[in-house]
Amino acid sequence: MIRDSLTDILMVVGLVFMTLGIYGMIQMPDIYTRLHAASKSVVLGVITLAISSMIVADQGIVMRLILLSVLLLITTPVSSHAIGRGAFLHQERMASPGTVDETGGGLAGDDPPTPPWRM
Amino acid sequence: MSDTIFYTAMIWMTCLLLTAAVTVIRARTALARILALDALSLVLVALLVLYSTTTGTSYYLDAALLLAMLSFLSTLAAARYSSEGRVFSRATPNASSNRGPL
Repeated sequence: MIRDSLTDILMVVGLVFMTLGIYGMIQMPDIYTRLHAASKSVVLGVITLAISSMIVADQGIVMRLILLSVLLLITTPVSSHAIGRGAFLHQERMASPGTVDETGGGLAGDDPPTPPWRM
Repeated sequence: MSDTIFYTAMIWMTCLLLTAAVTVIRARTALARILALDALSLVLVALLVLYSTTTGTSYYLDAALLLAMLSFLSTLAAARYSSEGRVFSRATPNASSNRGPL
């Protein structure tokens, strides 16, 4: 009984995480802040769903769920870093307020726009 | 797991999937489109996990695992191809030396 209700609660928590992630991916102003929502929050939601499934499932499902969670934890930072690096190399500007470009590339919102003869 | 929670979660996740698909279509740049595709495949993985738990069969989880691997590889390859023009970097350091400390 307790396990069933724990499963339900964890499933609702995972759904809330995924909903917040998708909402942030729509609502954030530039791609650097969209990466936060779309990579971290959605993966946390999927892993919470996997944990909620681990409570009631049998052994074969639990092993596959552990494998899936570890795979997602390992691969998501790599792919989101590749997307962020691609956005930096494309020189997309940061649109959120108060940003600082520490690399000196002049991509923050308060910097003057890049002259067209550069790069 | 109660049936109400399961059906609500299924319908809610389908709505999330449709929203992610609309985001993929309406993305302005290629990298935003790649990012939205990554999130869409994650929602699909969650849908497969939910369905496999409810029916008690583990075959859907193999599909979820393969989908996670394929979405990782395709995201990586597409992002690197979109930013550098090639998937594998060349070994010489002159390739992107004038583009900042990355």
